Amino acid sequence: MARADSLVKLAWAYGLHLTRRRLSRPHSQLQRLLDTYAPDGLRPLTPEEQERHPQLIGCINCGLCALAAGRVGRTRVPDLASSYLRLYARLGDASSDVEGDEPDWEAAAAACPVGVPLAEVGAIVRRLAAG
Amino acid sequence: MSQPSAHDVIVIGGGVTGAGVARDLSLRGLSVLLLEKGDWGAGTSGASTWMIHGGLRYLEYDWDTTRLSCQDAGHIVTIARNIVYRVVFLVPVLPHDANNIERVDTAMEVYDRFQPLKKAHPHVRLTADEARQVEPGLTADMVGAVTIEEWGVDPHRLVFANVQDAVAHGARALNHTRVVDLLRDAGSVIGVRYRTADGTTTEARARVVVNAAGPWVPEVSRMAGTEVQLRPAKGIHIVYPHRISKFGISAESIDGRDLLMVSHGGFTLLGTTDDDFYGDLDSMDVLADEVEYLLQAFERVFPAIRRFRPVRTTAGVRPTLFRWRKYEDELSRRYQVFDHASDGVGGFVTIAGGKLSMYRLMAEETSDAVCRKLGHQAVSTTASTPLPGSESDMEPAEHLARRCGIPALAVVKLQSRHGSRAEVVLDDSRAGRLVCRCEPLTEAELAYAARSEQVQSLADAFRRVGLAGGPCAGAACILRAAEIIGRELGWSASQRFDAAREFVHGSWLGRAPVLDHAGWAQEELVQGAMRGLLS
Repeated sequence: MARADSLVKLAWAYGLHLTRRRLSRPHSQLQRLLDTYAPDGLRPLTPEEQERHPQLIGCINCGLCALAAGRVGRTRVPDLASSYLRLYARLGDASSDVEGDEPDWEAAAAACPVGVPLAEVGAIVRRLAAG
Repeated sequence: MSQPSAHDVIVIGGGVTGAGVARDLSLRGLSVLLLEKGDWGAGTSGASTWMIHGGLRYLEYDWDTTRLSCQDAGHIVTIARNIVYRVVFLVPVLPHDANNIERVDTAMEVYDRFQPLKKAHPHVRLTADEARQVEPGLTADMVGAVTIEEWGVDPHRLVFANVQDAVAHGARALNHTRVVDLLRDAGSVIGVRYRTADGTTTEARARVVVNAAGPWVPEVSRMAGTEVQLRPAKGIHIVYPHRISKFGISAESIDGRDLLMVSHGGFTLLGTTDDDFYGDLDSMDVLADEVEYLLQAFERVFPAIRRFRPVRTTAGVRPTLFRWRKYEDELSRRYQVFDHASDGVGGFVTIAGGKLSMYRLMAEETSDAVCRKLGHQAVSTTASTPLPGSESDMEPAEHLARRCGIPALAVVKLQSRHGSRAEVVLDDSRAGRLVCRCEPLTEAELAYAARSEQVQSLADAFRRVGLAGGPCAGAACILRAAEIIGRELGWSASQRFDAAREFVHGSWLGRAPVLDHAGWAQEELVQGAMRGLLS
């Protein structure tokens, strides 16, 4: 009985929905989505970043780039790739971690045994942390 | 054997339901003993999708279940406000999907009526282009998409917060303690015989024993001379050590089931399967076919999924209520409280079925049944009493980070586990040192977990504080972690090595089904390092 009742109510809602769609002009809700969830840190990657994402997150935290290039602000270079680029929703709360000196990105990337493009990683983390 | 202890109630099972029952009864002023054979939340709760959801799928069957589910999700979101987080899903609709975009949009419009009950926002409808702006990894072969908002939670922390609060209100809670028998007298259950981690066997008496053992419910029931039949269903997840997308994504499997890719704290869960399970509940393998079933479904909506490197799998068994002649996925996630007095077994109550999202309500109804048996009048307060760590607002992460000298991201992670109690954890001279850099986890938090959170092994630490949960899967931190925990628990050097070896071996079982060639190379590295250091 509950099942039949549910299906009837859904069918009624479907009818109303179709009528409403016919009578009103659809408008974009994209900005509403982005505004609603910006405080929760849900900022998307760009298409270019998404395309490169599997390489960007390939770090196995061996630590070799730390020996080659040191830190970004207070943060070790491997931590950017193994930790900060995990796209934490609250990365914006940790922006102070990545403020400060630029390491030698070229030396860091050259030391990476799995080819993580570390300069890109640094740029994305800083962009997302900045909000 | 030591002297038996006496309690009002003994709860068997330290998953979210058992922990919830122990908390509820303790808050009502009863003396409670909670026993768990493994670690808190190590069974079905920990192998869940980590979601407090409202039950969109029940709209097809019974709107009242959706209402109830959303209402209780709202209670959990309130009492655990500092450890829950919003998870926003994109539901892409493809040209040949079972439901077209208008039907899906309608379902979301109906669901929106219930969303305020759990403090969630209404859905949004996107064109295909807009959906790909939000998540460029989605297939171009898409009619459009809608969003749906649910809540995420670390079930291990949720379970432990319930245990912690039960203990704070007088309960005794023992993990790694197996109930080996029930004590019976004239047909009634009057207590339990249990074996602790050190092998000691002890008896405890109680006026009521609650069987909240999840999929092990039938086994415990048999000890009482009664029967509760379940239809256990196995579910696996693939775990990626990063958020693949900022959004969750839904997909339809080849047999028409709804699957989810869920973005949590810093990782992604992709699942789940749902198959009748007849094997050993304590030894479950993840099969290559199950992994392929999930990847095949997601490849359709997120074509690049195979380019991402999974780090492990999880497997669990849902304690679904028994029903014959039903497809697994259509089985209800409803629950039932059994008072076995009707079978002639006094002093014994079972809670079976249900799901993580309704754990609090299940615990309340079970506790009501217990109180009726005991003639105890107090009512449940768990819908409004905050769990530990959610009593007050959290301090901004950067303030705490500056004061304690640790990275702000480490504070963010710490707060995700301990909420407003984070500072208590850092009250340690070792606060500034990171032991697990992927997570990132401080030595202070790990030592605190061993000292104050019943961590007895590295696997317990993985559950309690996320040790080795990141991309390196423990390669960089597990030996150091064994040192820190070992120091707190008084382990010898060989015990520390054994603990590390055991952890690596245990992790391997969950990793093997998803290793690609880069994964195998990393595994070689880890195993080689362990052999070199531990031989």
